[in-house]
Amino acid sequence: MGMRRRTTTDGGGMDGGGGGGGMGGMGGSCYIYPATPATPGLTNADVTFNLGIDMQIPLTMDDGNTINMWGFTDNGGNMGMDGGGMGGGGTFPSPAMRVTQGDIIHTNLNVGMMWVHTIHHHGIEPEYRSDGVGHLSHDVANGTYTYQWRPAHAGTYFYHCHTNTVLHAEMGMYGALIVDPPEGPGTLFSGGPRYDVEAFWVVDEIDSSWHTLPWDAGTCGGDVGLNELNPDYFVITGVDGSGDSAMNTPPISATVQRGQKLLARYICAGYHPQKIRFGGLTGKIYASDGRPLPKPVSVTEIRACSAERYDIIFEPTERGTYLIETDIIHWVTGDVLGTTRTSITVV
Amino acid sequence: MDRRNFLKFSSAGIASALLGSTGLLSWAPRAEAATISKTFYITEGFITQPDGVDVYFRGFSPSTNNLTVPGAQMIVQEGDTVRITIVNTLGTSHSFKIDGVVDSGRIYGGQTRTIEFQVNKAGTYMYYDARNAPYNRLVGLHGGFAVMPKGSSDEVYAGSPNFVQQYFWLFHDIDPVWHNSIRNRRTPGTTYSPRYFTINGLSGRPPGSAGSGDPAIDAMHDPLSALHGHIGDRTLLRVLNAGQCQQSVHTHGNHMDWLTDNGQIRDEIWSKDCIYLEGNMGKFDAIFPFAPPPDAHPPVTTGVYPMHLHTEMSQTAGGGLYMFGSLTDIFFE
Repeated sequence: MGMRRRTTTDGGGMDGGGGGGGMGGMGGSCYIYPATPATPGLTNADVTFNLGIDMQIPLTMDDGNTINMWGFTDNGGNMGMDGGGMGGGGTFPSPAMRVTQGDIIHTNLNVGMMWVHTIHHHGIEPEYRSDGVGHLSHDVANGTYTYQWRPAHAGTYFYHCHTNTVLHAEMGMYGALIVDPPEGPGTLFSGGPRYDVEAFWVVDEIDSSWHTLPWDAGTCGGDVGLNELNPDYFVITGVDGSGDSAMNTPPISATVQRGQKLLARYICAGYHPQKIRFGGLTGKIYASDGRPLPKPVSVTEIRACSAERYDIIFEPTERGTYLIETDIIHWVTGDVLGTTRTSITVV
Repeated sequence: MDRRNFLKFSSAGIASALLGSTGLLSWAPRAEAATISKTFYITEGFITQPDGVDVYFRGFSPSTNNLTVPGAQMIVQEGDTVRITIVNTLGTSHSFKIDGVVDSGRIYGGQTRTIEFQVNKAGTYMYYDARNAPYNRLVGLHGGFAVMPKGSSDEVYAGSPNFVQQYFWLFHDIDPVWHNSIRNRRTPGTTYSPRYFTINGLSGRPPGSAGSGDPAIDAMHDPLSALHGHIGDRTLLRVLNAGQCQQSVHTHGNHMDWLTDNGQIRDEIWSKDCIYLEGNMGKFDAIFPFAPPPDAHPPVTTGVYPMHLHTEMSQTAGGGLYMFGSLTDIFFE
């Protein structure tokens, strides 16, 4: 099953945000802070998400190989089963959250006994104990914690696990997080542009050599290679993007009529930098990282670093199929490691 | 090799040396330009990394029997004359350069050189050894240098948004194989593979680890790195990259106002939670506003949040040890 019990953390010393044991190199997990306290200021929610864990999510690539991914399920309320990570139901990426600006949101994360995880709503800036950063609050283990937050700014975000983050986010523990303005979908932000069609470009790289590691790999020391991300697969919104799999695959690809507005929500979900090119189309960036730009910027390509988001509106006027290519660029050498492809079809 | 200066340093010695540097959190503008004198001793030694491995470094240090990486932060004012004396205690040639400002040229082993230059353009700079590029810079010969606008205590450039305190965040990535080659006066011949990642010379030490909470060792509690502020304490971040890796600088708690990019004033100020930091001396200036975290319910004004590089490989040490890399904490007090 590839599961592994915590060995050094089941004893004392882990409560109240204490240390996670030493660096004895005897395996197990270190520097995690498992707890399931009450959420400060807990009130009634307008919207509740119940997320569980799935550590066995097969992802089949274009070459026929299957890579194991980890992720969040949307059936985390099923305590003790799916929440334990054994019940399946997970997808890559994890299910998207879509909420409305100003609503009080609860993200209930149910984690079983076998692992420790958190949820960090990236770009959302809540009370720190709802931020999902273990060393400053706690990691969730063997129970359910409620992250409470109230998004103040419409835009594109994502959520991801922040435990042993280098590994867990690479393993696929993330999903899109969209905050709509009170006007609802179809408006990017209050006072901002409207759109008719939406595309989601969540571009990521996978180093398959990392995908057999246990959840706590490296936490107690020892060289498990987490300083070197040498990707061999390149995905866009959960699909192998190196070939044609993400072409004509809404909502990754999009078909728009002339005169319509397409909103592309681009998330740099990998660690290496990226450059996305619009195949001859010119788009306008209206927002980035969940904040409107003071002035929209017209672009034919964007360079992005890890976890940046860009909201781009296209108003194509010429029929045709436009290739949207994203290069994944090595963080030291600048070499293009791989490229994902999808398309915009204008009819 | 000069044995007298070939010292082994703990991280503790490094940070305490840094604390003796020029005023950091506040800056009192002067009506008159001044002459600022500073002496750096180029020294060498080993610095113990979070996994216990000793890695060779050279530094712009405050004395012959000290190794400081990075060199002390300097903040001066437009119009000032800066007089830098470099005492090269090593047997190898080195230099002191600030791009667009000054270049000492070759300073032979054992030589002392004083250079004098006027600073005329406000901004954030790196001083570094440009010889044998990029190796001498990578092995530790670098530091942060800032020029304040004339007569201003709260702008990064004349007319910029205001701040009330300022920090350098100088990031670095370290390949010990390369450092060892440089120690042995060989040109590194291996593919660059960074194994350690620092902010202002220190790595994170999460709660429960040896040295956690020790401001001399733990980047999360280093007073030069960790942000402390109350609501409204807008904090200028002078972000520099001495390493090779392109990074994504990510703050929790607040977005950053992104003011400059590689020395250029941006046409528009964007509010970002991740900012692209280029490798090989990339830099930017941003303001962390210390505004109430906008998405808290109920609203809050206190708390603690991390800053970390989202290029998550940089959060490790020695191939593992998540949280022992380039990160610090942000305290809303």
